[in-house]
Amino acid sequence: MFERAYYSYQARLRRALSNPFPYDFYFKQGSILETRFNMEEQKRERRAFGPTFGKEDDFDKERAAANRAAAQQLAEQEGESEEMMPRVHPSDEARDYKSLDRKGKRNLYLLLKDANDAWRFPQGSVEKGELLHQAAQRDMYAECGEHMDAWIVSRNPIGHYKPPMTLSPKGSPFPEQVTFFFKAHIMQGQCRPADNVKDFAWLTKQEIESYVDKHYWDGIKDILSDH
Amino acid sequence: MDPKKDAIRQALYPANMRNRPTPTGTWRPDVGRAIQHAIPSVQAHNTIERAWLLHRRHIRKRREAELARKFDCMKKAMDELANIDGHLYYEANRPENPRARSVVEQQMTKGLKASEAKTLDARIRGLFPRELRMPTDTPSKTGWNYHYKPFTRPI
Repeated sequence: MFERAYYSYQARLRRALSNPFPYDFYFKQGSILETRFNMEEQKRERRAFGPTFGKEDDFDKERAAANRAAAQQLAEQEGESEEMMPRVHPSDEARDYKSLDRKGKRNLYLLLKDANDAWRFPQGSVEKGELLHQAAQRDMYAECGEHMDAWIVSRNPIGHYKPPMTLSPKGSPFPEQVTFFFKAHIMQGQCRPADNVKDFAWLTKQEIESYVDKHYWDGIKDILSDH
Repeated sequence: MDPKKDAIRQALYPANMRNRPTPTGTWRPDVGRAIQHAIPSVQAHNTIERAWLLHRRHIRKRREAELARKFDCMKKAMDELANIDGHLYYEANRPENPRARSVVEQQMTKGLKASEAKTLDARIRGLFPRELRMPTDTPSKTGWNYHYKPFTRPI
């Protein structure tokens, strides 16, 4: 909001200080394009500085009416311009967390709901003789299905998470587990979760906080993007 | 006489007479009045400038802080990996030759058709894929492509 106000302020300043536009060089004298340009330019002047600027000539009403008709004719000849898609998608209003069109500006992360009703990122184990990023790809396709065009960015993990220590029934601690996270981009397709996964959702960083355990969130919050 | 040539000549070589505003080298005729309408006051203009620079500074600091946090996470993860398993750590840091087909890929290409082998080769490890979409001002007309035929490439 502040940015828009600042940009329009700067545009006004530039308009006030810059040379007059050489319309006689760019437009043929007396053409419809020139009349349309002049009309639009007067409108822009009035919008920038106020109603005292860019006044239409009062004395020739017929000519003003003829200009408007000419501009209308030009618009009809050129046909309709391309319509831009709105920035709010129907899945935004419907709060469809499985949709990949939601929140176009933001980054969405995939969360899975496992058998214990805990939300977490897709994870799995490393097999013998396998490297970490290969294991990451295999586990991702195992849990999320193969119908995703995913690209793992690099061989290096971007972060790690250690779950809190739990004790076995005898009282001795379980061996420590650590999960390494790899960054991947999805370019096409959708997640089709495997049978051991109950549900999935594509969420922004702020939404993930409300879904995930406190300890898990403290571990992963610095890995994710704010925007 | 061709008015086009005259227009070009006037644009390239403006007249020396400065009795009316010309396209090059002068202000618009009502420049004083226009500036009065554009700027509230000198102090207000300075305040606006400083507010803008402060705003940009906030955004920059936030971005830099986020990057520092992410880098720190990555560093901690790599240190942890080094402590756990030296071989995996070495392999994670090793740069690989993007031009060569790996052993697994070579075995895969024996069973594939020529077009499928091309699709396999199209995505090169270490380079951004072609399908990665650049951020745009407004969303695309077609939206997200939910129908994708799987083609798994070995990594």
